[in-house]
Amino acid sequence: MLQSALMKQTLRYDQLSCRLEVDGFPDVSADQAAGSVGIITGWRLEWLGRPELEGEREHLLALMEVVLPYARHLISGVGRRFGGEQRPVAIEPGPTGGHRLELRSSQSGNPSLELELDDAELADLVRVLDGLRLDTRLQLPLALPQSQPLRQRELAERLPLQRRLAAPLAGLTALAAAAALALIVPPPPAPAPTPSAAAAAAGRR
Amino acid sequence: MVWMSQQLGFGELFPNRVELWKRRCHNPLRRACRRGPISASETDALIRILCQMADRLYPMLRTLLSNREAPELLAQRWQRFQDRLAELIRERMNPRRSGVQQLLDPELGAAERRQMVRSLSLAAGEGGFERLRASLLDAAA
Repeated sequence: MLQSALMKQTLRYDQLSCRLEVDGFPDVSADQAAGSVGIITGWRLEWLGRPELEGEREHLLALMEVVLPYARHLISGVGRRFGGEQRPVAIEPGPTGGHRLELRSSQSGNPSLELELDDAELADLVRVLDGLRLDTRLQLPLALPQSQPLRQRELAERLPLQRRLAAPLAGLTALAAAAALALIVPPPPAPAPTPSAAAAAAGRR
Repeated sequence: MVWMSQQLGFGELFPNRVELWKRRCHNPLRRACRRGPISASETDALIRILCQMADRLYPMLRTLLSNREAPELLAQRWQRFQDRLAELIRERMNPRRSGVQQLLDPELGAAERRQMVRSLSLAAGEGGFERLRASLLDAAA
């Protein structure tokens, strides 16, 4: 008991609007050093003027899995939702220009928590998660997706749907107008046969 | 920037300010633009320098992005940022490029400038390197 209390480590990452604290122990079966963390037992995320978040390792991983790719897409100017309905964490662009972070409790009956973050708070959150991800004291493999370049189809989401559809719709309208005009205008009459051509045709007969 | 590149261990790649300036001139938006290949190690080094500079400027970037500031104060800060940015752009960038013209436009360029500051805040520091590098390799729009 005393030994485990002595070996307990707390990793702390501070930014202006939030503080992340991760509790854990070194994995002695893997010969990890005393100051490292190989087993996460819990974490807390304190926000300035907001409720404190806490959870287990799975929840922390779920938070990193949605927030870091969301930030990656934002750098390319693409804001889209990350995290499905069944996932514990989801993030999407907010209706007023911010970012809506949704956290669902694993305990049944607890309502989900929604936080509206501005750009500065999102950047703070990304920085504390980066701090944890890159901390050499964390001796735990984190299965996080690598940042990848976006494909052309993903980049198209930067433009609103109306602007994306404007060019093809204008083309289709122009084509339909041209087709309607072609139907309305009568075709020109067939040219009358010249006398020489008529004589040649009679000679062939 | 030279000092920072040496602090980051890029003294061999950019031994002096002229070499660093020559690499930076591969930006096609610059007034004095250079053509030719640039190696992957040099581009990575430039991205790391940029991320480190964004890290140093992070407190200022954050104040521009925070909605908790008083609106008048925020508007003043954005105005000051816009003036300084326009000054730098006119001095160093090619004003005939449409991207440069858009950044200089006081109204149409506002969203572009906010996106630039937000990208810098998300690319700041060691963790921002991979994100910024991946975004620079995006498919051509």
